[in-house]
Amino acid sequence: MPTFKKSIFAALLATTAATATHAADPVKIGVVTPLSGTYAGIGQQVRWGFDLATKQINASGGIMGRQIELLYEDEEANPSVAVQKAEKLFQVGKVDFLTGTVSSGSTLAVGQLAERAGKLIATTVSFADSITGDRCSPNVFRVNARAGQQSAALAVWLSKEKPKAQVFYLGPDYEMGRSTVAAFKSSAEKVGANTLGEVFAPLDSKDYTQYFGQIRASRPQVLYTSVAGNDTVRLFTQLQEFGLLNNMTVVGASGTVTSQNIGAIGKAAEGFVTGVGYSTEIPSPENKKFVEAFKTAYKADPDLYGTDSYGLIYAYKAAVEKAKSTETDKVRDALRGLKWATPQGEKTIRAGDHQAIQTMYVVRVANGEFKIIGQVSGDDAIGADTCTRF
Amino acid sequence: MPDALTVSMRASHALVGIFLLAAIAFAALGAALNDTFYLRLATEALIFGGLALSVDILLGYTGLLSLGQALYFGLGAYLSAVVLMAVPSFWLALASGLAAGLVLGLLGGIIAMRVRGVYFALITFGTAQVVAKVIYNTRSLGASDGLLGVPVIDINFGFVSLSSASPAGFFLVVLAVIVLLYGVSAYILDTPIGRLLIALRANDKRVPFLGYRTATLRLSSFVFAAVIATVSGTLYPMLRGFVSPELLFFSTSGNAVITVVLGGVGTLVGALYGSVMLTLLKSVIGTWTEHHLIVIGLLFMGAVIFLPNGLIGLVRPFIARLLARETKP
Amino acid sequence: MLDYIQFVLAPQVVTGLAFGVAVILVALGLTIIFGLLDVINMSHGEFYAFGAFSALALNWLGLPFWLLLILVPLLMLPVGYFVERVLIQRVFNRPDRHVTTLLLTFGFGLVLEDAFRLGFGPNPYRPDTPIRGAVEFFGIFLPNYRLFLIVFGGFVIAGVALIVYRTRLGAMVRAAAFDRNMAASLGVPVAWVFAGAFAFGVSLAGLAGVLLAPVYSVFPTMGRDFILMAFTVVIVGGMGSIAGAVVAGLFLTQVQSIASLYISPVWTDPIVFGIMVVMLMVRPQGLFGRLGHA
Repeated sequence: MPTFKKSIFAALLATTAATATHAADPVKIGVVTPLSGTYAGIGQQVRWGFDLATKQINASGGIMGRQIELLYEDEEANPSVAVQKAEKLFQVGKVDFLTGTVSSGSTLAVGQLAERAGKLIATTVSFADSITGDRCSPNVFRVNARAGQQSAALAVWLSKEKPKAQVFYLGPDYEMGRSTVAAFKSSAEKVGANTLGEVFAPLDSKDYTQYFGQIRASRPQVLYTSVAGNDTVRLFTQLQEFGLLNNMTVVGASGTVTSQNIGAIGKAAEGFVTGVGYSTEIPSPENKKFVEAFKTAYKADPDLYGTDSYGLIYAYKAAVEKAKSTETDKVRDALRGLKWATPQGEKTIRAGDHQAIQTMYVVRVANGEFKIIGQVSGDDAIGADTCTRF
Repeated sequence: MPDALTVSMRASHALVGIFLLAAIAFAALGAALNDTFYLRLATEALIFGGLALSVDILLGYTGLLSLGQALYFGLGAYLSAVVLMAVPSFWLALASGLAAGLVLGLLGGIIAMRVRGVYFALITFGTAQVVAKVIYNTRSLGASDGLLGVPVIDINFGFVSLSSASPAGFFLVVLAVIVLLYGVSAYILDTPIGRLLIALRANDKRVPFLGYRTATLRLSSFVFAAVIATVSGTLYPMLRGFVSPELLFFSTSGNAVITVVLGGVGTLVGALYGSVMLTLLKSVIGTWTEHHLIVIGLLFMGAVIFLPNGLIGLVRPFIARLLARETKP
Repeated sequence: MLDYIQFVLAPQVVTGLAFGVAVILVALGLTIIFGLLDVINMSHGEFYAFGAFSALALNWLGLPFWLLLILVPLLMLPVGYFVERVLIQRVFNRPDRHVTTLLLTFGFGLVLEDAFRLGFGPNPYRPDTPIRGAVEFFGIFLPNYRLFLIVFGGFVIAGVALIVYRTRLGAMVRAAAFDRNMAASLGVPVAWVFAGAFAFGVSLAGLAGVLLAPVYSVFPTMGRDFILMAFTVVIVGGMGSIAGAVVAGLFLTQVQSIASLYISPVWTDPIVFGIMVVMLMVRPQGLFGRLGHA
């Protein structure tokens, strides 16, 4: 069986590698991300972000003189596959660190594997609060904003721009969709908004017109939605078709409109407002340089997934340099409380729950671009530390 | 004088024997090299091989294509996870899987049994989708995140205790369970009941004229297949420590069908070899390109067109002839 | 009460109608292929996607929408013919044809879907439609494009029915479906009819793809959107029955549309599926029976 040969080969390789000089050893980072299936678009941005950061860091000498090597595996948006590939990267690829998971199911499952294998992982996409909340793990870090931060920013905007708004909620019917709607609903109601109704459509619904009767009847000023990807394209274009966008502002989750689907949504995205951790319009010189480099390399704008992934490699570099080692325990300590520079400004990883604190932006789509119309400071947006495991 | 079926069955047994020996050697080598990944990957291949076995019993012997067998596998996995988190007992988890398989198989069978052919395929497909969706939305079962935190357990055989965290140890446990499942299936299919099932596949209109009720036969076959799938499923959370709704999705059922076709429909052992082959293929192709579906899809189509008896189908006749020569008086 | 009918129920029925026409167009091709060739085309959804992607690509080259409506289905005829001759025919004469063609087309669907991802990337696109604006009648709001869908779709469906039931070609198709050997001995070019029917079936799916692209957008996994619903319509209506596809298509989409007013939409799929199961157990030949056998 070929698996014999592979094991022998791997063993031989391991022994020869051990006798090689350490300075030439690359720092290996494993990336398990969906490269096929529904989330392939996100996986593509994630990969671009990682690749760009790695190229830049390697060009300027790497981490402590060692080059970074990225090892990619496709998780097919299936936690079972993610765990299998993660184990391959840990055991065979011998990666020092792992990242790239997109869905919260994959992040949680791979996180559990990491704990049992004594390695660290970080997510740059999953935004379920539980990952750094009630299901936190000492081996899991998150550098992107979670759902709570996103809705906090949006709620602040809502209370200023549309006090006592009449809001209708439309979300995809699954855990993430429902909890995102619930989180925003409670923030919104706290600032005086009135809930007119809510409806949950099955994931991958093609036709949202069946809910328009309800929406039209309740005459909302604001529609909050947590759909994403292709569902957003369909919902928004259908809303526009049926003239519902004329008197209604649509707001939503960070992942609802991104650079991947904004092209297909077209004019129907005009006026959409969201709370998000990134916009290409952030006026800092670091961001401008980053956007330029990204566009040159990949002929596409970076979105929050690409940018957060880019930022992670720099975070890891900073942590390893602080710890002077790639050993799990030392890097973990170094990451806790780490402050580092990203295109979105300075981020801090809160030691209590491994969640990154960052400035949150309120962004509105205008002419196909994500214009910043407000921002909320990191501390205001972050919310409480609910992690009790460590 | 053994008939063609028994001869081919014996050839299958020989192939299983080879498989078993190779697997044990693999485990020994893996343990010696302190390998974790390949042993666990192989364990996973065996577990999904059990699911493929269940598909083959229905497709290769009863002539029913199930496009939703992952339903039983997944439910077995969920049940096992819940049981293990309450009482970390290997035997309890297996037993509960067995019981669940019987009950669920009966329930599912009653719906699916009224129809055959493509209708059966569509009903199994639809039922799996519906239940998967329900689980996907059920908070108490972890919803879309699934259930995490299934503990590492100790499997007590009386004279030796193996841990589910031990790559080689657990591999051997799973090997034993799956080969046992194969053994039971092969045994039953070689009995008169089994031959009746094959008769059903060949021409189900004639069977009643032989005095048998096709409905009961099909139901029994369905329940049996469901139990095999459920019991295989119980092993999954022991290996990976979690379960998620994707275990019930069509991709899992689809993979099982691809496994059986590649390995060899109606050979039983084809399910095992096929699962190892497909796991290897996916692993290798996946590292090489993200468009692995094109490659696997083409291979699958090739197998359907050119190798209707799968890879085992190529090999088995040789072995059957070898054995026949040996047993000639 | 009247208000309710006018402002809640009626709009729901009308939008359900637009959706229904879309489903019927997809199911029509499937039912013809099953009814005539006895082939379960699991890749039907991918042919729907093929039509949409072709329209997208040709649109980028500058061809106008109206032209695409005619061109894409025409282009898909030889594609379908080729697929039938090269792939389907290889397993057609096996005793377990149902299973092997299902498996073969399933594999083909996998390949096509990944090919779309390879060629166009994973992100969605949305071709623009030349028909904008909306009408409002009796308080029911309907975008013009959807109205166009209903009307144009209706004509296509009527056209297909006409061809199958009122032309010599259609008679040959129905004869071949009823008794292949007899039809062959009567001079019907059965092999050609089969391949042609398959081509026609997938061409219809492609047309649906072009028509629906502006409404439902275009992306690699779009083939999965309709497949379960299409199969349900085919089974409930009767394999190979045009009338069945129309009636079942309208009925099921209306059920889904109206049910979503009262119960959580997540349950409308199981309800539709439940109707299919009941139909299979009670009257497996569907409402209108099989093509040629009605």
